[in-house]
Amino acid sequence: MLNDYLLTVISNIGMISMIAISAYLILITGEISFGQQAYFGISAYAGSIATTLWGWPFWMALIFGSFLAGVAGGLISALTVRINGIYYSIATLAFAEMVRLSLLKFSYQFEIDGEWIGPNGSEGFGEIRWIFENDISILEYTLLIYLVLFLLIAFIYLIEHSKLGMIFRMLGQDPLLASVQGVKIIRYKVLAASLAGFAAGLGGMLYAHSFTYIEPQIFNVMLGVHSLAYGLIGGLGTVLGPIIGVVLDIGFLESIRGIQGYRMIVFGGLMAVMLIFMPRGILDEKRVHRFKKFWEGKTHV
Amino acid sequence: MITDFVQNCIDGIMVGSGYSLLALGFTLVFGVLKRLNLSYGPSIMLGAYVGTWSFLNIADNIWLVLLTTICATVVIGIYVEQLCFRAVSKETTIASMVSSFAIWMQLEEIALHLLPERTYPFPAFFDSGLLEFGPFTARSEYLFMFVVMLLLLLILHAFIYRTRIGLAIRAYSDHPSASAYMGIDGSSVLFLAFIIVSIIGGIAGFLILSADSQITPFFGLWATFKGLIAMMLGGIGSLSGAVLGGLILGVIEANAFWYGDPVIRDISSFMLLFTMLIIRPGGIFGHKIEIHQKIASERV
Repeated sequence: MLNDYLLTVISNIGMISMIAISAYLILITGEISFGQQAYFGISAYAGSIATTLWGWPFWMALIFGSFLAGVAGGLISALTVRINGIYYSIATLAFAEMVRLSLLKFSYQFEIDGEWIGPNGSEGFGEIRWIFENDISILEYTLLIYLVLFLLIAFIYLIEHSKLGMIFRMLGQDPLLASVQGVKIIRYKVLAASLAGFAAGLGGMLYAHSFTYIEPQIFNVMLGVHSLAYGLIGGLGTVLGPIIGVVLDIGFLESIRGIQGYRMIVFGGLMAVMLIFMPRGILDEKRVHRFKKFWEGKTHV
Repeated sequence: MITDFVQNCIDGIMVGSGYSLLALGFTLVFGVLKRLNLSYGPSIMLGAYVGTWSFLNIADNIWLVLLTTICATVVIGIYVEQLCFRAVSKETTIASMVSSFAIWMQLEEIALHLLPERTYPFPAFFDSGLLEFGPFTARSEYLFMFVVMLLLLLILHAFIYRTRIGLAIRAYSDHPSASAYMGIDGSSVLFLAFIIVSIIGGIAGFLILSADSQITPFFGLWATFKGLIAMMLGGIGSLSGAVLGGLILGVIEANAFWYGDPVIRDISSFMLLFTMLIIRPGGIFGHKIEIHQKIASERV
């Protein structure tokens, strides 16, 4: 029943969900980032170099790549704390494009078994053979992706139900009020951006090892804007929102292959119409709150 | 050495006048709406595709291409305005941006259905000639674009600062609700702004593409990027800033291309933008932005 094609789609949904969660984290702190694909890319390259060229174990490389992406996210956020709104969005876009274009110039190759392996500019980075060398089936790798995704969601869920999550949402709704309340805005913005970079990094590293080949062109602005759109379609009220967005997009696009060539016309129009009625997505804050009330009412009775 | 540099600067200004044209449209729409219209570049592209289609299928007439390009861009602009900006409520700026992105995807696919090949010829406005000024050269069609750009800047400036309609647009952009009390109909201001912006976009697309003499599906992304960068460099909401930003971007790119390669050219333009946003976020002509003061003053 679960053929390889379906598994690829499912694992794709899992990996893209991570970058969507990353864009969502920035969105709830009230900023729009066009640049989350940069952290996805940084971790994809760093993680793959660690496993293929340095021979690191997979989990260490995953943490290493994501950590690097998180540090980069924090750094960029620290540089851009003074600006907000469209200025912030364009600054992140500029950074992401700088990363992508620098990767076109980035070459770092080792000779392994008579073959030159490693990232080589625009030719990309192939032969990321970790899943073949360790005999991991697509099913096993998909489960691994979903394990990481589950841990990530649980982590974000815990954050959202703690004081930290409250502060993040406060920054998003009213930074001035937050600072009057004694919240150190800069510190929390940098923290949120680092977490977002880390989340995107997890997805990027897994993506590289799933496809065994990456090139700078994958991490273009379209990936970033899509991940932003997922949060807005699915809803900004809960961490499940961006995942609903991804499932709708990838699932919908895959299921309407019959009208290939017209799917963007249909999907783009649907999305625009949907945003008129639900400007903060399907599961926005109000609906999440209402569901919660409904649920609590039921359990009490 | 110095001749090369000066020649690069001339080339940069010539190409940069195209960026300035795009930035003019961006700065107008952002100045009025305070919302980002990502689908501006793609709507120009689809307009130009319609123009090319009429060139290939109806008649080999340059004026017809110009007319169809501008008309199609205006129609698409109205579509974008109605769907992404009028219907989406004002408080949710992110939603209109994302929905303009969704429309971007839609427009690109429609363009590909209209003309499915990779590249199409775009008619040249007049036969390209190389004008020589001593040791320096400039292509005549770029020079023409430069002149048109300056003319448009003057016309727009006069329109915005010298007419009653321009006053209404400025009033709306300053304070929408206060202008409503003065009897200015906000939605017709928006509509008008979109029509003006689409006309500028149609002219810009036509001139840039006829200088390139070809059109590809990448033009939409390219136009959005170049227009955005030039606008941010010059300062949001300032017409002369948009023009200056475009010219600076052109000069930097031309020099980076000459001393480096296409990748270095692109990196340097984004690096310029990033540094500018960090050091002086308001752009060259823009005012300083103080986040907290601004929010606080809006409260009062």
